[in-house]
Amino acid sequence: MTERGPELSGVNAIYVFAVCRKPDLSAVVGLPGVTDQASVSSLSLGALTAIVQTVRASDFTDEVWQARLSDQRELERYARAHHDVVAAVAARCPTVPLPMATLYHGEERAREALAKEADRFDAALKRIAHHAEWGVKVFVPPCPQDETVPTPVRHVTPTERSRPAPGAGLAYLNRKRGAQERRERIQDEALRTAEAVDTEVRGLATASRRLRPHAQPSGEHRVQVLNATYLVSARRAEELAVLTRTLRERTGVDIELSGPWVPYSFVGEV
Amino acid sequence: MTHDVVPWDAPGPLSGPIGVPLVDLLDRVLATGVVISGDLVIAIADVPLVRLSLHALLSSVNERVPAPWADGGPL
Repeated sequence: MTERGPELSGVNAIYVFAVCRKPDLSAVVGLPGVTDQASVSSLSLGALTAIVQTVRASDFTDEVWQARLSDQRELERYARAHHDVVAAVAARCPTVPLPMATLYHGEERAREALAKEADRFDAALKRIAHHAEWGVKVFVPPCPQDETVPTPVRHVTPTERSRPAPGAGLAYLNRKRGAQERRERIQDEALRTAEAVDTEVRGLATASRRLRPHAQPSGEHRVQVLNATYLVSARRAEELAVLTRTLRERTGVDIELSGPWVPYSFVGEV
Repeated sequence: MTHDVVPWDAPGPLSGPIGVPLVDLLDRVLATGVVISGDLVIAIADVPLVRLSLHALLSSVNERVPAPWADGGPL
């Protein structure tokens, strides 16, 4: 093990973006990465290469990250910086992205830890070769709330309130039940559509994963009922685009396709 | 074995992040399947922390629509 100088081993850390095979480093020239302290570089792991950057360890402690994760602008800055490097490398060679903020105390530690995982990286590289990740989201109109069937407002005197008209309670319950059933029916239908879209897309995907649906901004008049991601062979990408269009027409719901993504979601245990 | 280029979106590598919604990016860079333990910030890989930050992000954007369906819905 090479002994690094104190200024490197004590103060600095190695941030790892991705592991790949025969990278073209010109892809990352000029990319800032996650710090302006050093440029993005590579670390040989034998047959594999890690794309790394030397960072100030004090900028990447657990506490600093906790604060960073709760500050949306900071979180975005780091997420995009990480993604820029991953995407640039992946555009030129098969690449396994690592989760944001994978850090080691030094080059030797990184080499040692990553080399131990060589089999997993090889398996992941094999799985994602000639493939890209595509996100599919399905949106439906929001469910009508009770308020959309307004209850007539009636002024009542205290005596009336104490003795409601016969059948008023039953009518109220029926109305409530009707609204509830209608809402359930719409939700069931939306979920069935989501399942149907997922099933169809899985039919041409190599692997798939369901992600948590996102809440929608308040101004947005639609509800996300499916947030899924698929590993799709490069030669079936066009087919996926056609299928999405067909499904959109057949179901009448909004279907959004995003990609090609670097296969972030398919490099771990699927 | 030949390796096809898996293009990001448009030509240059710099075009990547433009137009990628942050929530979609976070779904991927934080919740990535591969878990390699690093020496530092091990907690970042912990699901609760990631969930927490995603939740914080989403709720800051969507304070008035906390869940897909206001009544809790089936999701």
